[in-house]
Amino acid sequence: MNVEVYRGWFIVGSLTLMLAAAAPTLTLFINMPIGSERFSELWLLGPDKKAEDYPFNVRVNETYRVYVGVGNHLGYSAYYRVYVKFRNQTQPLPVASNATPSTLPELCEFDFFVMDSTVWEALLKFEILGVQRLNGSMIVKSLSINEITYLIDSFSAWNSVRNGFYYQLFFELWLYNMTSQSFGFHNRFVGIWLNVTG
Amino acid sequence: MLIRVGSPESGELRRALSILRLFFVLMLFLVMASQFFVSVTIAEVGEDEGASGLIDAEEKVLSAYLAVLEAEKTGANVSSLLVQLNEAGEFLARAHVEYRLGNFEEASHFANSSRNIGMEVQNAAVELKDLASSEGTQHMLFTMIASVVGVALIALGSLRVWYFMKKRYSGGFSKANL
Repeated sequence: MNVEVYRGWFIVGSLTLMLAAAAPTLTLFINMPIGSERFSELWLLGPDKKAEDYPFNVRVNETYRVYVGVGNHLGYSAYYRVYVKFRNQTQPLPVASNATPSTLPELCEFDFFVMDSTVWEALLKFEILGVQRLNGSMIVKSLSINEITYLIDSFSAWNSVRNGFYYQLFFELWLYNMTSQSFGFHNRFVGIWLNVTG
Repeated sequence: MLIRVGSPESGELRRALSILRLFFVLMLFLVMASQFFVSVTIAEVGEDEGASGLIDAEEKVLSAYLAVLEAEKTGANVSSLLVQLNEAGEFLARAHVEYRLGNFEEASHFANSSRNIGMEVQNAAVELKDLASSEGTQHMLFTMIASVVGVALIALGSLRVWYFMKKRYSGGFSKANL
């Protein structure tokens, strides 16, 4: 048997084994590009932590519950802020096409930190505390979120198509940006429509 | 002393009494007005303190977050620090809300709690980063040494196996030919 015939195979096998032995060290110096996309998730769940039974027809002085959640897939521990805002049908929402937040003032906020590939979730209890009915319109005078009362005076005209006084409770996701060293709108928002029945 | 009604003495007394009454009313007004101005001044101080407390807390929480990120980059497990930072974040958010509602004392209280946790986390993150950094260096050295030794052993082993096989099979072949 002539061993020289297998010389090439033997060299390839040995080099493969050497490469395997050197791999742990090589990974210390070579940054392999990670193919996965970097993004954040923002979601809103109903009172049973499911995407169902969201509060819709809301009465004054009754407490409703929703869960707001954020998932981090940015590759590092991120510093997020969620602004809670309340609007009627004509007031502005965020504009996703140019990543602009709503110009409405926030009622309250959540500041939190989320490790990469983990999620954050918080319970939000809200209650319409006072309304005033006028001719064909309604003013929500005050709203309680997590047992803190906010005076809002939000006017809504009667929606004759959908038969109700409609408002929206929505949540904007903001992210701390290292480059600008400030919070910026992360171009994600979720909300629920509320038909305030008085 | 007896003063007759309608006498010049009684007129003077009436004038003196009216001046005294005016003086008393003026004093009362000044006391009330001073209380108003004092309360306004106190409220303004409270608002300023609330604002500076908030800014301070925000800076401390941010510094803590940046320290945690640095620690994370060196390979430290920062999950417990993030739990603490989330507490600081809750207090900070509450401080913002209370400030907007005009409850400056409450805002200052929550901002202080947030700032204190932020400072604790920052110190812990710096320590954790140093620890992770030295552990990382040790791990890197160990990995490099292990790799070099591994590669050398495989190279030497391969050569030895190659020469052994060459000797054995070449020898066997020549013996068979003989």
